[in-house]
Amino acid sequence: MKGTGEMKTVFAGILSVAVIVGLLLSGIPARAASPAAGSPIKVGFSVSLSGDFSADGKAILQGYNLWAADVNKHGGLLGRKVQLVHYDDASSTSQVATNYTKLIRSDKVDLTFGPFSSLLTIPATSVARRYGYAFLAPAGGGPSVFQQHFNNFFFVQPSPVADNLVSFCRWLLKLPKSKRPTTAAYITIDDPFAKPEIDTAKALLSSHGIKTVYNTVLASETTDAQPIGVAAAHAHPQVVLVGSPGPALAVSLTHIFIQQHFNPKALIATSGPDQGKTFSKSVGIKNTEGIMVPEGWWFGAKTYKNTQFINEYLAAYGGTVADISQDVPEAYSAGQVAQQAITKIHSLDNAKLIAQLHHGTFQTVQGAMRFDSAGRPQGQSFIVQWRNGNTIPVYPPSYAVKSVEYPKPNWH
Amino acid sequence: MSVSVRPRTIAASAAAAVVLAAAIIFPQVVSSPLLVTMAIFTLIFAIMSSGWNILGGYTGYISLGHAAFFGIGAYALARLSDHITVSTGYEPFFLLPVVGLIGAAFAVPLGIVALRTRRHVFVVLTIAMLFIGQLLATNLRDVTNGSTGQGLPQPPWLGDFFNVPFYYAGLVVLIAAIGVSWWIRRSKFGLSLRAIRDDEDRALGLGVNAGLAKLVCFVVAAFFIAMAGAIYAYFVTYIYPPVVFDPLADLAMVLMAFTGGVGTVWGPVLGAFLIEPAHEYFAFTYGDSGLYLILYGCLFLVVILLLPQGIIPTIRAMIASYRARRSPGPTTATVAGVPPSRKETAAR
Amino acid sequence: MDLIYGAIVTGILTGGVYALMASGLTLVFGVMDIINVGQGALVVLGAYLTYALQQHLHLDPFLTLLITIPALFLVGVAMQVTLIRRLKRDRTMLSILVTFAVALIIEGLLTQFFSADLVKIDAPYVDASFPIGSVYIAYVYLYGFLLSVGLLAALYIFLYRTKFGQGIRATVQNRVAAELIGINIARVETITFGIGVSLAAAGGMVYGATNTFSPVSAYDLISRLLVIIILGGTGSLFGALVAALLMLIVENITSVVWSPTWSTLVFYVILAAFLLFRPQGIFGKLATRQQ
Repeated sequence: MKGTGEMKTVFAGILSVAVIVGLLLSGIPARAASPAAGSPIKVGFSVSLSGDFSADGKAILQGYNLWAADVNKHGGLLGRKVQLVHYDDASSTSQVATNYTKLIRSDKVDLTFGPFSSLLTIPATSVARRYGYAFLAPAGGGPSVFQQHFNNFFFVQPSPVADNLVSFCRWLLKLPKSKRPTTAAYITIDDPFAKPEIDTAKALLSSHGIKTVYNTVLASETTDAQPIGVAAAHAHPQVVLVGSPGPALAVSLTHIFIQQHFNPKALIATSGPDQGKTFSKSVGIKNTEGIMVPEGWWFGAKTYKNTQFINEYLAAYGGTVADISQDVPEAYSAGQVAQQAITKIHSLDNAKLIAQLHHGTFQTVQGAMRFDSAGRPQGQSFIVQWRNGNTIPVYPPSYAVKSVEYPKPNWH
Repeated sequence: MSVSVRPRTIAASAAAAVVLAAAIIFPQVVSSPLLVTMAIFTLIFAIMSSGWNILGGYTGYISLGHAAFFGIGAYALARLSDHITVSTGYEPFFLLPVVGLIGAAFAVPLGIVALRTRRHVFVVLTIAMLFIGQLLATNLRDVTNGSTGQGLPQPPWLGDFFNVPFYYAGLVVLIAAIGVSWWIRRSKFGLSLRAIRDDEDRALGLGVNAGLAKLVCFVVAAFFIAMAGAIYAYFVTYIYPPVVFDPLADLAMVLMAFTGGVGTVWGPVLGAFLIEPAHEYFAFTYGDSGLYLILYGCLFLVVILLLPQGIIPTIRAMIASYRARRSPGPTTATVAGVPPSRKETAAR
Repeated sequence: MDLIYGAIVTGILTGGVYALMASGLTLVFGVMDIINVGQGALVVLGAYLTYALQQHLHLDPFLTLLITIPALFLVGVAMQVTLIRRLKRDRTMLSILVTFAVALIIEGLLTQFFSADLVKIDAPYVDASFPIGSVYIAYVYLYGFLLSVGLLAALYIFLYRTKFGQGIRATVQNRVAAELIGINIARVETITFGIGVSLAAAGGMVYGATNTFSPVSAYDLISRLLVIIILGGTGSLFGALVAALLMLIVENITSVVWSPTWSTLVFYVILAAFLLFRPQGIFGKLATRQQ
């Protein structure tokens, strides 16, 4: 038509140049790691240092760093130093897949650890599985992950996320009938962590006769919880369970309940009240009294190397014990598990490592850990409650420092 | 119709053939699976951008929401693969045309409603289309599993080979998209599209069925974008609403077409080949999504303000004016070499 | 039943705020034929500015407006002068793309400085509430509504009672004629754009006090604002007000009566239904030969 011939030549030239330039830009030379003795053991992972999961991602990075520093201070792993290699996945699924491909094939890491969320864990584990790598994940234990039946996946928390509220339900159902609540409200964000927790709790409680008077699932991007909070308050539930993947919903609802002068006898959220000062400053320290949250780690627990871990954290990052977010010990535990398994088999062979991880019991700051064939941990989380401006474990009795305060005092 | 000069056509076809051959052997000669992974994402974006261009470039109706069909394609494949057994791993690829048709089916009613409006209201409606798509995907939990997301079947391939089938699937679909785009541009249909772009009322007056033509483009674009979404979903193995109904991917798709040359056949492909590897590079080096958004936005501004035609038409114009300066008399080639720019419309 | 009354009242109160944010958008469209799809990001920017001032200087959120409104006015002027004015051909289409790019840059800057975590503007009176029947309405909604009404009234006075406002209205009616009678179109455009953005600052403060937000909230916001101005009729201030109130009331009632997950969708369904029968919106003018 109109000089299409020359146009095509020009195009072809430009395209070739573009492809070459693109390749050069993206060509990252594969660092050939010589596996000679004395060279460091490389542990690779992707974390969310930006995007939606960045707060947790940063905490996970802290946990891994503390573990690596601890190992290297005590003679290394199999006599070699541990070196962490990580990339930011910006909370993106495609980026996380690319990152793990790079870690395994270009950086040639010896071990892979997990990123922050279930949503990222699945694509990441898929890449690791392709290459036969064991995958230890401190976070991302929603039911969807276990449904994939990855044989290389290990979730390093005391219990699968869906069961986090089971302790709370057990406590509730053990109350004498006169004191036990008869009605419950369930408010949750539609999220792979929070929703399964609430679903499990709802199934458990309603099957034991506790009536559901309000039940709603919110889309993730709901920012205005006002109508929901008001409607929930109006149903007069005696206990309210909130599925909040981050602190936002729990904080919003607390404010709304205060505004509406609504006092449930018990209030538990899957996240939010475990955020220490962030939570208490937002709702007011007096209003935190009695609010509960499930946790897998407590700073006062007498678990393996817990005191050492806390000292290392405070030395490296300052602050107080109450500031330590749950993600840090979770990541630290992942390192501990890997360390013990590798030391036991005295090898970095991932196939052998996977086998060992399926059969052993491992000691971590979160307690003892065992995994089933799909990577589910066989343990239980416990309940923590705000008392006098601090959080302490209150259930099960083996963990409890004080017994549960019930009913929750009224708002101030 | 066209007066193509023979030697140039042969040279051009030879060049295209060389590029095609290079693309075909690329995964076999490249040793780093990382590069193949990046190439796969690049191909996916090139498909999206080429598809978008059929509507946005040829008719001038800028859709800022066609990425909604990316999400529809992704979820369509997820649902379809529930009903098949994946043993060799290639089965979902045969479902791709079905996915495209599903995307097209959704596009028909959406297009009918959206195309009733003027151009800038149309743009706004397409933006809404993207967010409605995300909302529906999040709320229709029975169909999409909501925010928890959906897994796709895990292909049995191991190691480096895993990337290879995806690469070729992407390449095949891209070639199809380029082919359709090229055929449309050369045809009488393409002529009527250009008439619509330049002055729709005048085209209507000349007897062009503008409504149908626009709808066809809207649907064809959706067809290809849906297939891109399906390939992506199968490759990443897990999808959830904000990822496959992503305004950023939507913008990237449009930006690539603009950068390479909106309204040309190869422009969107060129744009994708430039921008996506650059994006991956930034992601590795800076990681910071804050910085990355800023860069993307600035790049978009630069392209819009300085190079509103895109690279290919600008180069064409440069070459044409160079030739005009060289040869004294007017030649059909040079006059014809200037691409139809977006003319001033009657009111603005 | 009380819940429904509560929903209506909250709908009116929040609708006022959305009307404020949308009025800037529709004014700019009327005067310049430009759709500023960055308005959502600018609202969030206003919210973050208030948040930062409140966190570091402990200023009352309403007081921060004395700083944020002029600041965003300048941002708007800067945007118009450096970017929008450069567009000569195909202004409407290109302005959509340009403002979208600006929205991205703003989102990136906010993510850099504030991180992606959800935040909320806290004020000591946020939890205080007054009852309507058995439902309590938080005072902050009422204050926000009063602010919006005040600013909208000020806007009205400016447009209908001042000479410059008259110039703006003349430009909306007939740009060429306005230029012919000596109105400085460039200045009108710049000031109007600045006003449109400064209204986002005010809207942002109230938005931030009643919602948790993060940089990505801009997307949800701009979708709603665009729906509101299309429904109200692009260019019509009164239309924006009516549409905003209508949308928010319907959304709140749906949330209470049916389910919160579907309430946002109702927004869009109403829009789609409306457009099928009346593409120009409630108060808009039918499209003339103006491709």
